[in-house]
Amino acid sequence: MKITFKVYRFDPQSGKAPYLQDFPVEVTPGMTILDALGEIKAHQDGTLVYRRSCRSGICGSCAMKINGFNRLACETQALLLKQSVIHVEPLPGLKPIKDLAVDMEIFYEALARVKHWLINPDPPPTDKERYQSPEDFKKIEVSTSCILCASCTASCPSFWADKNYLGPAAILKAYRYSFDTRDKGFADRVGALDNKHGLWRCHTIMNCTDCCPKHINPTESICHLRRMTVENKY
Amino acid sequence: MDRGIGSGGAFAWFFQRISGVFLLIALLAHFWVLHYSNNGDVTFNLVAQRLSTPLWKTIDLTFLVMAIIHGFYGFLMVIRDYVHNHNLRLVLVSLVWTVGIIVGVLGTLTIIAFKAPGGGGL
Repeated sequence: MKITFKVYRFDPQSGKAPYLQDFPVEVTPGMTILDALGEIKAHQDGTLVYRRSCRSGICGSCAMKINGFNRLACETQALLLKQSVIHVEPLPGLKPIKDLAVDMEIFYEALARVKHWLINPDPPPTDKERYQSPEDFKKIEVSTSCILCASCTASCPSFWADKNYLGPAAILKAYRYSFDTRDKGFADRVGALDNKHGLWRCHTIMNCTDCCPKHINPTESICHLRRMTVENKY
Repeated sequence: MDRGIGSGGAFAWFFQRISGVFLLIALLAHFWVLHYSNNGDVTFNLVAQRLSTPLWKTIDLTFLVMAIIHGFYGFLMVIRDYVHNHNLRLVLVSLVWTVGIIVGVLGTLTIIAFKAPGGGGL
């Protein structure tokens, strides 16, 4: 089946405004949007820019807006969209660098603000790892599967309105570590969470939950962290 | 980069939930008292007599304060979400506070000073 891909094109050096370029592609069963972009790049226009790495839904590089919905290009089969025209655009809310590649700097900066690593001043045991029971891991298991594709943050209207807002991905990481029984770093993170660009900017719109390719619920994590913050303060 | 460190928001968020629950209960009680407790027979004298009692003045004052805080905090949230220009934000936040305080003072004076025609109550 022939599908027309309307692909967002943008080259800051050309001085031209962004536009959508049509690429007809013969799509076969099982072919993903990423496969189609590879086909376009290989046979129609070698200047097309997009990010990809693992091609199997693990690295999170190929998140983009496909028919108005943030998804991983490598996990989205073109025929399953049941459309003869497919719009492929960069993630919204992040500055496009070229074509489908966006500037991820503020996304990573937000992650660093919440200190997305294990914080525990106690020295680890010398004979074994810091222990975490399977039951304790279960509590945070879903949140550990985040691949940092930025689909959630880029789908969040609160983030579109305030680019300093941490966004659901960074807050999810704060949740993942703050609710890890081995972690004692909540006091170090609360400054970034409990401020006007933190937890309180979320208005439970739930776009993040709708679009997460790993079926995580960042909104729920934000609610847990809000409760934790209030309980710690009052 | 403005990281907003230290400006908090936890208490405001928490209080918004408390005032929200209070308003929900108070509104249901308000509807019941006004429209159902007297078989729907609402007259000025009935309401005036009720509003003249210290208990109802206290209930209405609490209702007023909670509604103003809840509503005007909502305005502040919208400003925080969408207004990033420092000067414009200062003007709008000042406006919200000013209007909120004026409405609060006027409402309080009305409730406290209210007396039922022909005497009775405070």
